[in-house]
Amino acid sequence: MADDVGLQRDVTVTGEMSPRTLHLKLLRKQWQIISLQVIATMALIGMYLEVVSNYVVDSIDHTMLFDTIEILIGDQLPIGDWLTGEGRSGLARFFVPLVLGMAVGGGMALLAFQTPKVQQRVKLGFIVTLIVVLVGQLLLSWLTGMLFSFDLRLPNSNELSTLEWPLLMILSLMILFLYLLPVIMGVRGIWGLSRRSIAWAIGFTLLFLGIHAILAFPLINGQLGSYGDSVNVIGAQFSDPTIGIFGVMLVTKQQFALIMIAVLIMVFQESSYAVIRYLEYAYRLPESCKRDPEYVRQMDNVLNTHLKHTFGFLGLTGVATMVALGFHSVLLGFVEDSTGSQWAGQISESIELSLTYGLVISAAMFLSIMALLRFFVPWERIWGLIYARKNADALPTEKQVVEI
Amino acid sequence: MWTRKASFTFTGGIALILIGMMIANLQMMILGLTFIAFIVVNSWISGHGDVEVQRTLSADNLYKGDDLYVELLVTNRSNRNTQLLEVYDNIPHEMKLRSGLNQMRLNLKPGESARIRYVLRCPLRGHFSIGPVSLRSRNTFNLGVEEMYVDHHSDIVIFPQIKEVEEAFLRSRTPKMYTGATTLRTPGQGSEFYSLREYVPGDPFKNINWKAFARTGDLMVNEKCRDAVTDLYILLDSRDIARIGTVLKNPLEMGTVSAASLAAFFLKRRDSVALAIFDDNLSYLPPDTGDKQYFKILSALAGVAPKGTMPLQAVTNSLSGRFSRGSPVFIISSCEGDGTVPAAVRDLVGRGHEVTVLSPSSIDFERLVSRIPRMSYEVLKLERQNRLTTLAGSGAMVIDWMPDMDLSQALMQVRGY
Repeated sequence: MADDVGLQRDVTVTGEMSPRTLHLKLLRKQWQIISLQVIATMALIGMYLEVVSNYVVDSIDHTMLFDTIEILIGDQLPIGDWLTGEGRSGLARFFVPLVLGMAVGGGMALLAFQTPKVQQRVKLGFIVTLIVVLVGQLLLSWLTGMLFSFDLRLPNSNELSTLEWPLLMILSLMILFLYLLPVIMGVRGIWGLSRRSIAWAIGFTLLFLGIHAILAFPLINGQLGSYGDSVNVIGAQFSDPTIGIFGVMLVTKQQFALIMIAVLIMVFQESSYAVIRYLEYAYRLPESCKRDPEYVRQMDNVLNTHLKHTFGFLGLTGVATMVALGFHSVLLGFVEDSTGSQWAGQISESIELSLTYGLVISAAMFLSIMALLRFFVPWERIWGLIYARKNADALPTEKQVVEI
Repeated sequence: MWTRKASFTFTGGIALILIGMMIANLQMMILGLTFIAFIVVNSWISGHGDVEVQRTLSADNLYKGDDLYVELLVTNRSNRNTQLLEVYDNIPHEMKLRSGLNQMRLNLKPGESARIRYVLRCPLRGHFSIGPVSLRSRNTFNLGVEEMYVDHHSDIVIFPQIKEVEEAFLRSRTPKMYTGATTLRTPGQGSEFYSLREYVPGDPFKNINWKAFARTGDLMVNEKCRDAVTDLYILLDSRDIARIGTVLKNPLEMGTVSAASLAAFFLKRRDSVALAIFDDNLSYLPPDTGDKQYFKILSALAGVAPKGTMPLQAVTNSLSGRFSRGSPVFIISSCEGDGTVPAAVRDLVGRGHEVTVLSPSSIDFERLVSRIPRMSYEVLKLERQNRLTTLAGSGAMVIDWMPDMDLSQALMQVRGY
């Protein structure tokens, strides 16, 4: 790297603020970066809500666990119902915890940008508070009890019962933290620019889906007895599609929700990693390049393209998956309508073709056709020509670059 | 070509579909299908490096240690967007980036162009080539990557550094035959009067113009007109042994700098300079004067590399016939590993040449890169001193040039022998 890589400065020699540079301070406030972070956050929240609404709510959600604990201890948990969402129905149980999770994740992201000294102080403060909350009351009552009675003794049951409240509080918070782990880690990753946190958020979601899939597997589900009944099983049996495009019904509402989960995972992953990738690139540039308008312009180009492709390609991915899933019914309908023979009738009524194998084979066939299409339709040239015709007058052959 | 990410996504997609089918889990199948669809959709746009590249250099020839300004113009001449294109201009590893960067990530629309500007420091002499330009195009989500290069080179010659030589110590004893063509009206050692100037400490007393002193009250000295031009012969030792030391400090590097500086000094005075470089063979540049000769000498010195073991006597034997009578000869050599040096020097002196041996101290260069025991160093140093004394005894002026010594400072030693 060049010699001029050094501490970042966002002021010019004359002391004035430079209008556009690639310094992190400025770049982090650039609208494309903010947009990508907002998109990632929305995708994360959307993904989380889709997952909990499909698999968790009324099945294994945290309020049900809190209720069970309350029955076991015969008392109310110290954490307020308004905070946990107990007493509400459906997805509404997750609204307040979600906000809480986002706040915690945001706080962790904010902490990541503080100086190591501040971070250390905050962490130390948190640990001390935790210890004080946990054993403070016990120590206070026990020590003062010993002092007033002038007797060296072990804490009695009344004094030990002061541990109950903090332990239950910490247990409740830990349960909430576990349920909100993808949100907390995701928000921390997006806004705190942490790859590891993003990986945690995605990994935990996929892990949950994997464990759920295993538990929902009929063989294992049957072994779980009454516990197995509470697992929300989404079967591979399909009903008639109700959602489609251009009047062609392709997928059921349930399938659409599952597609949304998959697409939102990808939107979250691509947008959040992209922010880190581009900021890292800008950070590593030498000082002179950060001030070079050419680098600034190209960074704009790259970010704008990423934004467009996030909407375009990930949207298309969702549509392609929808079409792939509905392709078998389209094919079967086409065979039935076009020939009208006995063979066509048998084919259209074939259970194998209308169930899992048929669905996967026809989806793979559709995706293969789509993949082959790139060799016949030059998309890039078509879009390039459209762009060139649209901007024939506006686009000069060579752009003027301001000397720095 | 697929990236690792694409391969993982594809494999993960297939695995999820298969597992989903096995355990009849729709979520897994859909997740797998979405992964595959993501790859399929993204394969439609792969990006490309179908661009035109034009490189502009601030100079084609530079002196060692100078800065080179490079501008690379990248233009997308196709009707497609380049997508994420990484441009990397390959620079010789001997050059160092001083400012800017020789790479950029860009996304050019049809007809758009971008400039990459950077400054290189050239710490080593030689013939170098900048290029080719490496291109790597990716799609936005880093699923496909294509690597290619534009075979566009820019050649550059880095000349050895020219050091200031303040005073010339050499002058031919025999005037050149065709002095009329190059008669000089410049101050120097000669017989004709040139001008009066104020006395400065160090001027010989015999040059003081006493009449002028009596008239003006200030000490004035007579300055003489240089009455002849000189044919200077420089013999540069570029044998393999001259590489001892570091990349930047070794006998050959110091030799090229001194040869270039001496040549520049004498050519500036309109003298003729010849250059002979001996390594595994002998390359000889006949004496000539002017800018053209200056450029030829610098170009020859730029390409010098240590190799071979040609003895000095072989050089003097083959060239002595071409040397002008009485011309000064500069031998730039560490005088190591060549037993013929004393005989060659004696022969040249015997022919009436004024021989100066500028000898970079190779043992001190070796000390820069390896530890030599003190006793061994002392012995080697003594051997070297004996060798140089022998040369001085043969009638040559010998300069023992230490690594940390300036050229002009080293030349001052001539008076000591």
